Amino acid sequence: MPALLEYKCPNCAGAIAFDSASQQLECPFCGCSFAVEALKAMDEDLSTQQALDWDAPAGQWSQGETEGMAVYACQSCGGEIVCDATTAATKCPYCENPVVMRGQFAGALRPDAVIPFRLDKKAAKAALEKHLLKKRLLPKAFRDQNHIDEVKGVYVPFWLYDADMDANLRFKAAKLRRWSSGNYDYTETSTYYVYRGGKIGFDRVPVDGSSKMPDELMESVEPFDWAGAADFRTAYLAGYLADKYDVDAGASRERANERIRSSTQAAFAATVTGYDSVTPDGGCVNLLGGTVRYALYPVWLLNTAWQGKKFTFAMNGQTGKFVGDLPMDKGAFARWFVGVALGAGAAAFALFYLIWPWIGGYLP
Amino acid sequence: MKKIICALAVLALALLFALPAFAAPPLLTDEAGLLSAAEAAALEEKLQALSDRWDMDVAVVTAASTQGATPMEFADDWFDYNGYGRGENYDGLLLLIHTDKDPPGGWISTCGRAVGVFTDAGIQFIGKQIKADGLDEGDTAAALDSFADWCEKFFAQAETGKPFDEGSLPKTSGDYARIALLGLLGGLGIAWVVTKRMQNSLKTVRKNNQAADYVRPGSLRVVYANERFLYKNVTRVKRETSSGGGGGSSTHTSSSGRTHGGGGF
Repeated sequence: MPALLEYKCPNCAGAIAFDSASQQLECPFCGCSFAVEALKAMDEDLSTQQALDWDAPAGQWSQGETEGMAVYACQSCGGEIVCDATTAATKCPYCENPVVMRGQFAGALRPDAVIPFRLDKKAAKAALEKHLLKKRLLPKAFRDQNHIDEVKGVYVPFWLYDADMDANLRFKAAKLRRWSSGNYDYTETSTYYVYRGGKIGFDRVPVDGSSKMPDELMESVEPFDWAGAADFRTAYLAGYLADKYDVDAGASRERANERIRSSTQAAFAATVTGYDSVTPDGGCVNLLGGTVRYALYPVWLLNTAWQGKKFTFAMNGQTGKFVGDLPMDKGAFARWFVGVALGAGAAAFALFYLIWPWIGGYLP
Repeated sequence: MKKIICALAVLALALLFALPAFAAPPLLTDEAGLLSAAEAAALEEKLQALSDRWDMDVAVVTAASTQGATPMEFADDWFDYNGYGRGENYDGLLLLIHTDKDPPGGWISTCGRAVGVFTDAGIQFIGKQIKADGLDEGDTAAALDSFADWCEKFFAQAETGKPFDEGSLPKTSGDYARIALLGLLGGLGIAWVVTKRMQNSLKTVRKNNQAADYVRPGSLRVVYANERFLYKNVTRVKRETSSGGGGGSSTHTSSSGRTHGGGGF
């Protein structure tokens, strides 16, 4: 059975959590703070500790019922923590102490890197407020009654793909030449095949490795700044939620390939200059070599329900990029449409009225 | 040509002697017989009122044939030798409808002050209107009635010092309908774009199909670049010839030596 990891304050033995503002672990009880590196030794001490051996309750669960579930015992209060099998860090529901499931990061599951949270819960709430501003079609009631059900700081498992690509691409391109002679205007279109071959490299193209996280949501909060990444330490996870991956690197590769291929196409297409139009016309993009890394990226998730529908917002915990689809007020949409149509229609009428002598003759 | 002129001259002289000197020639001559007696009477009355109001002869002649002359020559001569025109500059205009083609053709000959009132573009405009108002369908009475109405508008506009011309032609009901339609389409189009943008601002969660943020800086190396010519296409479009070139009225000299403006349709 996997063991729990709880960081205790060396001063008062209270449970301590990572603080995004100071980038240190802070004790909420005595106010002491500790560098992540200073706790590295403690991390190693803990890693030698034996995992607690619990006897599974015999015959309590029917077969398959516990699939995807894990049960831990809190080291502070002894309460039982029931969570997903992929949960890697959470809080004890009884004593609120942050806990990290050490077993989730053992051996091959150990992430190569982590980007620690830079922005706190308050920043996430403020970003949501800002997100709701200047949205004319947002139902007023949604803004006014907006109660966030929960705000979670989650370390999301990402697969990072480094790739060296070899491309041989063909484009169809056209050059136009225009001239006039007599009563006619001439247009000459010269069509060419344009070939481009070469290499391009990509670093750390991310694909989220958690089936619980909607891929679109995660791709929308990108990019993360790799300069802020640190070597993985479980101490960074204290106080946040964390998942381990449940979609492996092989399964996630397809999505990375798609993105890398289309960007390779676009990068080579940008080198085809001097033409009036360029369209891709086949070719191949091959992977010369690639490596995969495993990292945890910080994301704030905010959930709210409105009129029986669930709305999820996400904020990049490092850069603050905030995304989340909002509901539309159909009445407001109709009012704006009619209002703008009337105003713009009157303006268009006046404009056409004035320029009619010049354009009237060209219309049927 | 000479024969016609002579014949017309004789006719003019005969009229001159036959009628008292102050009597004006009839403003409507339906040689081709396109109008009923009632229609002719109504039109003549209208033309007379129009002519008196603006002190300019507004005459109409229909002819089955221009007798070998061009419509311009025929109309100019008809105007000159029948004694149309008021004042020392012979102010007035004449509309010739000739039925030697189908649909009938027309020519407007202007003289004196009327040259400035009916610009080249204005004459083409009137031609277009009366063709649409009945000339093309054989309803000559309606077409001529429309001609008289348009003359009224042209005289009134010329009073303001800015006669209808290239770029300032009057708008017809068809024009208004088209302007209204364009305004409606423009309004709907703009409203669609504006509300679509508002709607899009509500949606921030999108798939990112690119990995452009992750291209290793300086890693793009093009080692092979080539182009192969495939084929060439040439298309040609007839250029819109700009008509008039600034508007105004062009003039010519008729066989009698007078200066006329005019245009056919």
